[in-house]
Amino acid sequence: MKFRYDVVIVGAGLAGMRAAIAIAEKNEDVSVAMVSKTYPTRCHSVCAEGGTAAVFDKEDSLDLHAWDTVKGADFLADQDAVELFVSECPKEILTLDAWGCPWSRTEDGKIALRPFGGQSLNRTVFAKDRTGFHEVHTLYERILQYPNIEIFSEYFLTGLIVENDEIKGLTAIDIKTGELTLFEAKAVILATGGAGRLYGFTTYSHNVTGDGMAVAYRCGVPLKDMEFFQFHPTGLVPSGILMTEACRGEGGYLLNKDKERFMKRYAPEKMELAPRDVVARAMWKEMIEGRALEGEHGLYIALDLTHLGEKKIKARLPLIREAAINFAGIDPVEKPLPIKPVAHYTMGGIHVNKNCETDVKGLYATGEVACISIHGANRLGSNSTSECLVFGRIAGENALDFVLNKDFKLVKEDEFFEEERKIEEIFNKNGSESPYAIKKELNEVMDNYLWIFREESGMKKAVQKIKELKERYKDVKITDKSKSFNTDLIYTIEIGYMLDLAEAVAVCALFRKESRGAHYRLDYQKRDDVNWLKHSLAYKTADGVKVDYAPVTITKWEPVERKY
Amino acid sequence: MEVIFRIKRFDGGSSYWDEFKVPINMTVLEALFYIKENIDSTLAFRAFCRMGICGSCAIRINKKPMLACETQISKLEKETIELEPLKNFNVIKDLVTDFEGFFKKQKLAKPYLIRKSKGEIQQTPKQLEEYYKYTLCIKCGACVSACPVAKRCLGPAPVVAAHRFNRDSRDEGKEERLKALSDHIWHCHFVSDCSEVCPKNLHPAEVVQKVRLEVLKFNLGW
Amino acid sequence: MSLNTIAFYLHRITGVVLSLYLCMHFTFLTSLKTGDYERLVKASKEFFVLHLLLFLACIYHGVNGIRLVIHEFGYMYKYRKILLYLTFVITFVIWVLFCWKVIK
Repeated sequence: MKFRYDVVIVGAGLAGMRAAIAIAEKNEDVSVAMVSKTYPTRCHSVCAEGGTAAVFDKEDSLDLHAWDTVKGADFLADQDAVELFVSECPKEILTLDAWGCPWSRTEDGKIALRPFGGQSLNRTVFAKDRTGFHEVHTLYERILQYPNIEIFSEYFLTGLIVENDEIKGLTAIDIKTGELTLFEAKAVILATGGAGRLYGFTTYSHNVTGDGMAVAYRCGVPLKDMEFFQFHPTGLVPSGILMTEACRGEGGYLLNKDKERFMKRYAPEKMELAPRDVVARAMWKEMIEGRALEGEHGLYIALDLTHLGEKKIKARLPLIREAAINFAGIDPVEKPLPIKPVAHYTMGGIHVNKNCETDVKGLYATGEVACISIHGANRLGSNSTSECLVFGRIAGENALDFVLNKDFKLVKEDEFFEEERKIEEIFNKNGSESPYAIKKELNEVMDNYLWIFREESGMKKAVQKIKELKERYKDVKITDKSKSFNTDLIYTIEIGYMLDLAEAVAVCALFRKESRGAHYRLDYQKRDDVNWLKHSLAYKTADGVKVDYAPVTITKWEPVERKY
Repeated sequence: MEVIFRIKRFDGGSSYWDEFKVPINMTVLEALFYIKENIDSTLAFRAFCRMGICGSCAIRINKKPMLACETQISKLEKETIELEPLKNFNVIKDLVTDFEGFFKKQKLAKPYLIRKSKGEIQQTPKQLEEYYKYTLCIKCGACVSACPVAKRCLGPAPVVAAHRFNRDSRDEGKEERLKALSDHIWHCHFVSDCSEVCPKNLHPAEVVQKVRLEVLKFNLGW
Repeated sequence: MSLNTIAFYLHRITGVVLSLYLCMHFTFLTSLKTGDYERLVKASKEFFVLHLLLFLACIYHGVNGIRLVIHEFGYMYKYRKILLYLTFVITFVIWVLFCWKVIK
């Protein structure tokens, strides 16, 4: 099969849908295809809970939002991008309001705000604790109204077709029929989300495997800052389901086994509402030093919401309550929840500038798959959904400008056959290794050696182990030989993607000899601005990962010590 | 402790039952992954968020449409558990059904905010609560599976979506929506199984009756 | 099959049965000559049991119909389960009373 669209967007989450709408709003004649491996309402963005950051408070200012973001990022964020970002956030909130997003309100009918980690003032716009869910549905409903957006659900990205540093199209497997499909395009926007399933204990949906990152990486596009992986303090034990930061924003406490609010020792001013890296590290320390509670699923910390009262929990945190009851059998109204830090967000991603452009002409990346970089070494809670909206639109608009008055570059038959051959090769694999065993081991490696506290020896082991797993992956076995809905094949390709990404994460982490934001090394516990105030760029080469570095853009704020 | 999963398989040509032993202390979805990763990797099912909000994993568990991710096996209190794909959808493979038609039908009900006015929008918490409950539909298809007439009409889910916007104080398109619905809403016989199975307790059966009355009044010009 | 669905199919089936019966009934009535009481009495005796069952169908369809109308006009949604059980109970009670009266 072959399709031809002016712009092809891969991924139908918040960023992808926002990009599609941005194009369709401005131009009715440009054809847009939105290709994704799930239906739009099933994307991982629906799992975003707490809120979306934007300046609305009268005492708040754009500069303050930018400063909080930069400080939260441990000064690794590109400040020009951050300034652009914060100035666009409020507009996006109002746009979504006009499109029907059920934002929570104050008594006088205005959009309500709640406090979130690392922010100086209340800055998080929210829709109860289902913000991402409502935003996704609002955008999806909006998309139904544009005739020039075509949705291709359940198409799995397998490759980009690039010639002379210019994009020509992409290939994807139509999961329903199993056929490889060619999409010719003048511009491609990648919005496939993060790579959270690298980790075993994670908040991510099952299929968030970094497809876009891996595919671009294999085409020679560098990945930026992959060593920075966010660990969210409050993942429900044992499933890892996210208990939103809003739990603490609404007044919840973190308690150790002595019922002590231990955060007072780590962030006396902000307490539970310090940025996520600080809180996650504090919790991990409590756990290592024997002050955690112990249950049938191992160590945990208590997230106490009982003092908030039933009324507030039901009104502000209904999803949390529902999830806690369904998945841990505990009602937060009555008892504290068992939680521990959990892999949550990929700060790194495809290297793009603040216009979402990669080095390949016509190839854009936006949302979590991209590293723009506004999150630097640690993202602040509620900045990610804002990023998806703001930079989704920017990517869409830039792609639109790019495709106007441009012609299609024809994809040669050979190029398509080459992609087809690659997939055939995997499909016909009949080795002795189970892909799922490889994935399980990969998860263990990541959970053990690239977790919150890292050190040289562990990371070296991780690099070694990932290399071994990559070797073993070559001898993988695909049992399912049917065409239609062959998830065995899809999962196996995903695991291949993850192995590439894990290698980039491990190598970049090993090279960065300092502690910054989410990347904390026991052997280099201080931040080192002299040598390491720079972005890592990972390139895929025949002999493994090649790491290069790029400067950080600083406009207003020079790095200072980070205290909360 | 183990239980037996009897799963209705379909390989594109024929359908048959398959049995697997799985541990009891997990959710149905986790058990499906357990089977896929350890016993039979050809098993096909949909799964995504595993926290009951994406709507991917609705299947029939012991005949009742439910979300596999939210269902703890131990709570089913059965030694043999039957898993089948949703009814009223074409089966693609094993537990995977074709949702294209379901999403196409959504569109007919105009489930989006229609608003011509510009400028700042205000909405009080009270106005929000008027419709908020109905925003919670995750489009999982459980209601359609439970409905004996869904194949011939819109099915419950799109009507709930339309109702959500009809009650939204920001919306200005209620008449347009009622007009769009008036051709599609008369098949309901109040079987009300949709209300019994809805994982988000949205009571589609009640909503359909309410919307029908509204359409009726609108058409009669009352 | 849930009780809800059973109620739905019963409503359908009894509806079809009643309309078929009505057709037959009208055909039969129009075929009667004036004063043809004998045939009439004979027929009603021959089909006695069937008539009782027919009346059961008739009561169910009527009572269930009232239940549906109540719900369709937006009333008593909360009590839908009780109403459903009541439908079966009321149908049965009326039918037993009727049978008792006829047989006596």
